[in-house]
Amino acid sequence: MIKLNNISKKYSKDSVALNDVTLHIEPGEFVSVIGQSGSGKTTLVKLIIAEEHVTGGAIEVGGWNITRLSQKHLPYYRRQIGVIFQDFKLLPKKTVYENVAFALEVAGEKTERIFDIVPKVLDIVGLTHKTHVYPTELSGGEQQRVVIARSLVHRPKILVADEPTGNLDTINTQEIIEILKRINGFGTTVLLVTHNREIVNQLKRRVIAIENGTIISDKKVGKYQI
Amino acid sequence: MKTVQLFQIKKWVSIKYNMSSIIRVIKFSLQDIFRNFSLSLMTVMILVLMLLSVNAMVLVRVVTNKATTTIKDQIDVSIYFNNNATPDRVQELTSYIVSFPEITNYTFLSSDEALQQFKSTYGENQKIMDALDQLEENPLGPTIVLKTKEPSDYNKIIDALNVPEYRDTIEARTFEDTQRAIDKIDTITKKVEVFSLSLSIFFALIAFIIIFNTIRVTIFTQRTEINIKKLVGATNWFVRGPYLISSVIYSFVSTCIAIGIIFVAVSSIDPQFAEIFQQSDFLTSFINSSIILLFVSQFAIVLLLTIVSSLLAMRKYLRV
Repeated sequence: MIKLNNISKKYSKDSVALNDVTLHIEPGEFVSVIGQSGSGKTTLVKLIIAEEHVTGGAIEVGGWNITRLSQKHLPYYRRQIGVIFQDFKLLPKKTVYENVAFALEVAGEKTERIFDIVPKVLDIVGLTHKTHVYPTELSGGEQQRVVIARSLVHRPKILVADEPTGNLDTINTQEIIEILKRINGFGTTVLLVTHNREIVNQLKRRVIAIENGTIISDKKVGKYQI
Repeated sequence: MKTVQLFQIKKWVSIKYNMSSIIRVIKFSLQDIFRNFSLSLMTVMILVLMLLSVNAMVLVRVVTNKATTTIKDQIDVSIYFNNNATPDRVQELTSYIVSFPEITNYTFLSSDEALQQFKSTYGENQKIMDALDQLEENPLGPTIVLKTKEPSDYNKIIDALNVPEYRDTIEARTFEDTQRAIDKIDTITKKVEVFSLSLSIFFALIAFIIIFNTIRVTIFTQRTEINIKKLVGATNWFVRGPYLISSVIYSFVSTCIAIGIIFVAVSSIDPQFAEIFQQSDFLTSFINSSIILLFVSQFAIVLLLTIVSSLLAMRKYLRV
């Protein structure tokens, strides 16, 4: 599903975020990427969602080479992967419903279908009662659930979560992880980037550890060890 | 391992914008305007202020042009023919004088008409009338009164007539007495025209810079939202679309408000000019006759400026 072949990312001569990273993730896997701050985890996410471009190597996602994805193809690629951000990235002047619907509207989805899908997805994340509320009126956990709803609404085959629990308390963290596990249960490949030891240990899934821009361990059923 | 193409990027690319996308772009634009109401209000206010300055300069130019034209219209030159000049000679010289392309208007007065006009001008002055009565014959010869396009044109005509050949036919020219005054008026009116044009260009330039920067600030405050929209999968045009529609709305609303204010202002200013220009609705009639041109040109310029500013300001934030 995701193939990173000898990829490197250098921001400048002295700033190397990733160095010769090779990584293959199979369809339906739940993979945690761990590492300390500045290890290159977020750069990895940015490369997968094509927010940044590699300076070396090749990236293939869903059978498509996105190493040099053109601006023309970029939006269509992003509509097929779900992304959860630590800072939520919700549109502040749009309601919960509108934020979720926006992901379908940009893709040219029919209005009737949007009316049908959005309430169902909001129901999955438990936000039916907050449909017409603005993000600023929601708690951190609720905002993250809106982000999950938005990332799920076009039924992506891959869900990339960059520190989704970074701004949440323990209860909300557990809820978010449960939702991610459920999504993975539907067959969606989940790539979770985190430095939360408890979550990783509790998941008992594949764990990839990154340090100084290189993969230092890759275990099928791993624990948080750096 | 066999590669399975789960994503169908090329197929998705072929999807064109349909009608619902256009309706969504308009909906997002209206949402942006009303949900960021204070920002929208500020943008419209600045556009209105800039349009008012430009309109004020247009009116200043109209008034100065009218004033200089009115002053120039007051100037004329009279050529007095000798009383003993033969009618054929007078006719020949009149034809020659009026053939100058610089002449916009002329009036020919026969000896009798010249006397009649003299009497109507000085009729109240008894001494002049008495002196005139003591003369047995009409002392005035035929006269031709000329008006030219520009005050400086009088020089050309006078120079052409100032040759020995015509000395016995032409008795006097009023121009020689008033030449200095005419030259001064000509210089002043030309300077006023240059000054008002320079001021208009200066104001227009300031207006352009402020509009450009206002739109840049508006886009800057929404840079995070542009970024998010791109990450969610919006195409550049889907992000730009609402801003372009907003530009149309801002330009239309601000042009309507500015023209409305100018119309009200002009109605109250007009009486001040009534005495000077002998016309009670000088500015109002100018606005009435040019309303479509004023509206369309200002709307088009503001729209062009706001759209170009939006596209330039957004370029950086769309590179995500």
